[in-house]
Amino acid sequence: MLNLPRWQTIGIIAVTALAVLFALPNLLPSVVLDHLPNWYAQSRMNLGLDLRGGAHFLLEADLRSLMTERLTNLSDSVRGELRKQQVQFKEVAVEGGRNVVITLRDEAQRSKALEAIRAVDPSLVVSGSGDTIRVGYSDQEMAKKKKEVIDQSIEILRRRVDETGTIEPTIVRQGDERILLQVPGIKDTTDLKRKINQTAKLTFHLVNEDVAATGQNIPQSLPPTTFLVPTREGMQELRRANPKAWEEIQNANPRLTPEQICRRYQPQCLPVLKRVVVGGEDLDDAKSTFEQQQGGRPIISFTFNSAGGRAFCNATRANIGKRLAIQLDGEIISAPVVQSAICGGSGIITGQFTTQQTQEQALLLRSGALPATLSIIQESTVGADLGADAIRSGTTAALVGTAMVALFMFIAYGPLFGGFANLAMLVNLLLVIAGMSILGASLTLPGIAGLVLTVGMSVDSNVLIYERVREEKSLGRSAFSSIATGYERALSAILDANLTALIAGVLLFGFGSGPIRGFATSLTLGLLTHLFTATVFTRMLLATWVRWRRPTEIVI
Amino acid sequence: MLWKPLHLVPAKTNIDFIGKRKLALVGSTLINIIALLGVFFVGLNFGIDFKGGIAIQVRAKEGPAHLDDLRHVVGGLGVGEVSLQEFGDPTTALIRIQRQEGGPQCVAGAQRIMQARAGEGWQVKPGAPETGNVDFTAPRALDGANWRDAVSRVGLTILDRQLPRGNTQTATVDMTHEQRAEWCQQVAIKLVEDAIGAKYDLRGTESVGPKIGDELMHGGILAALATMAAIVIYVWVRYEWQFGVGALIAMLHDLITTLGIFVLFQLDFSLTALAAVLTIAGYSINDKVVIFDRVRENMRRYKKMGLVELLNVSINEALARTLMTSVTVFVAVLALVLFAGPVLYSFSVAMLWGIVVGTYSSIWIACAGLVYLNLRPEQFRHEGEKADEKADKAKA
Repeated sequence: MLNLPRWQTIGIIAVTALAVLFALPNLLPSVVLDHLPNWYAQSRMNLGLDLRGGAHFLLEADLRSLMTERLTNLSDSVRGELRKQQVQFKEVAVEGGRNVVITLRDEAQRSKALEAIRAVDPSLVVSGSGDTIRVGYSDQEMAKKKKEVIDQSIEILRRRVDETGTIEPTIVRQGDERILLQVPGIKDTTDLKRKINQTAKLTFHLVNEDVAATGQNIPQSLPPTTFLVPTREGMQELRRANPKAWEEIQNANPRLTPEQICRRYQPQCLPVLKRVVVGGEDLDDAKSTFEQQQGGRPIISFTFNSAGGRAFCNATRANIGKRLAIQLDGEIISAPVVQSAICGGSGIITGQFTTQQTQEQALLLRSGALPATLSIIQESTVGADLGADAIRSGTTAALVGTAMVALFMFIAYGPLFGGFANLAMLVNLLLVIAGMSILGASLTLPGIAGLVLTVGMSVDSNVLIYERVREEKSLGRSAFSSIATGYERALSAILDANLTALIAGVLLFGFGSGPIRGFATSLTLGLLTHLFTATVFTRMLLATWVRWRRPTEIVI
Repeated sequence: MLWKPLHLVPAKTNIDFIGKRKLALVGSTLINIIALLGVFFVGLNFGIDFKGGIAIQVRAKEGPAHLDDLRHVVGGLGVGEVSLQEFGDPTTALIRIQRQEGGPQCVAGAQRIMQARAGEGWQVKPGAPETGNVDFTAPRALDGANWRDAVSRVGLTILDRQLPRGNTQTATVDMTHEQRAEWCQQVAIKLVEDAIGAKYDLRGTESVGPKIGDELMHGGILAALATMAAIVIYVWVRYEWQFGVGALIAMLHDLITTLGIFVLFQLDFSLTALAAVLTIAGYSINDKVVIFDRVRENMRRYKKMGLVELLNVSINEALARTLMTSVTVFVAVLALVLFAGPVLYSFSVAMLWGIVVGTYSSIWIACAGLVYLNLRPEQFRHEGEKADEKADKAKA
């Protein structure tokens, strides 16, 4: 048992050294870290929101009313198509947020009615018998639509939250209809909440090329059909050059109109016609793609619905050579020149774009309005000073706890064996910290509690071994033999004890959210690494010591 | 040697633990019944994680926090039941507000917020009673962008399709009753912000809507049951069924008395507290396993010894390690109780209790239970011999 092959010893030492290496950036003071290469110094555990300060929101999209609305639209189309095909019906109504129910006057017209429904959308699921026809989207179609809505909402949120200048928000889908939004280190959530709830508005306007208005040269009076709108680059430039002005604009109550912003702060602006050519609600899709000819430049392609396509066709046919401004939330995101009449419901925007730019613009075009309302169903905000308090008390508890456990082991088993146990405990702690750094796991306040608990539990295996050694020794075994048998016989209890605690840890991880998950992570990781330190590391320590000193008598 | 190891527990003890089993069983049963009665009739002090509601930590900008003042001001906002406590130090207070049900008081509160934040003249009224709709009236006609901006001040989203075309002075936000209840959580937070923001810093806010609270409650119960089942199955597979049952009874004992502690001291039963309870379930087995391991070993060694004597011998032999392993964890958790701050207080106290009671139940519940579960060495003689034979064969 105590004979360890050389390669195992080397392996154990290598793992331990790696653990130290990965754990170090978390433990060194910032003075030392400043002198180390960046990639190494920054590979640290993330601090959870409860330690770092920040906001956590769980948002729920109102998909139910959105689906009801889509079904209402569907019932309108069905009604229209039935009339067109001269099918007589008593009623077309939305039923329970899942189906559109059609009641026919004459059962004989059923096949004709079914044909009409196929004409509306061939993918619809049709059921019912006699004079009743139920029409609905298939489960797959429904799931797909819901997924699209959530994805689009996430994109919009990302744009809105990033705009506030905050760092690295986490925005992820949770389940079917929820979005988790975490923004570390923000002070004022009121502003953030407002941003979430405001939705953007996208409109297409023609640029009034007859008015010369650039930079400082703003004419005092404009034709009544025209107004000024700042460009996106202009606003970004203003924000860089004059952050105070930018803040004033954001906080103004009531909100400044685009024209007021242009006159007061004079960012780059464009005069556009007030008449809306097409609204964002008529835009079906926009994506970044590449041109077929001319070396495949990155372009943006977009698709309108039928109403939008018609309006767009008329407007572009009459205005070739003029610029068409795309206004999003009171800023012009782009004003491409109309090259030709764009009919057929889809078009492209070309220009000197990079792929990144086209992707961004396509995203902006898609992020017109939130497709569904989002409500905050869970919120947790932690101020930075509250987080700092939590770090302080957590660190104190961890240090005191570790010191007390170490002291206890020294008193109970003497400097030598107590020292071995404490060394194993420290290596275990380093392994957990290294593991969390590598996994990129977040350390939360309950996570620190998990670490402290790990410290207490990790010396337990040494206690089990030492008590067994004491017992074997009192039975009259030699020093070498009592250590060997003591270790061997304690092993099964060590494994059982760890595995049962591990079961609880893993289940907690599966169930928990936020801070609890932090607790489960550090506890589970601690128990796993403990299996290494208890079965392998401690064994190496004891084996090396026994071979080195060849004790005839042990004091334990 | 500089320092001689101390035998904190004498190497040889001979205490008749099992002989006192009746006293222990009667006492424990009584305590468990009292704890269960407490849970059912007094009730756990559920935190907002499970009940839904709002918790706001505030710190006075100057001097100590005046709890009576705060209670008076926040209590008068029409947000339902409010409770206050000092949190950590005298300058800091924790305000708890019950979960919002979305009644007319909340809509009235929303009107006050609109008037304070968006300008005088705003009116907010409940819409058609069969829906949760809310009707807004602006002091002047607004366009879509300004409507969206205005209602975002009370944490609402209004979509273009919900607004009439052109400029208008009134708008209705469509909601169900459930959605309105969730929104009213936001309204309540804003009301508190406006009411006490001048004198207090809001350090942290937590809000759990009715929906999430219910979900967490179900999830928590499920997680607790799954954990217990998994642990019992593990012990059952590794040991004989009597050990599994003994461990289950002892674990239930530990969990029920822990819940009793939560009731007795009215500790906040939050998600972290649940984490403590589940960890206790895992840890409770740790202790039992150490003794069970020894009992099994001794069953093979002393094939003719009576069960009571055998259990006593095993417990005495394992006593030192049972106590020592508990002490190490106890010491670590004690540091949490003393230094980790108010957020982890309930968690740490529960863990501390779990460790103490777990050690007790290993001896008097898990092992004494084995006496009544028909665990006889006779059953083991056979298996023990087989195992020995196997070992002999392996050696040969």
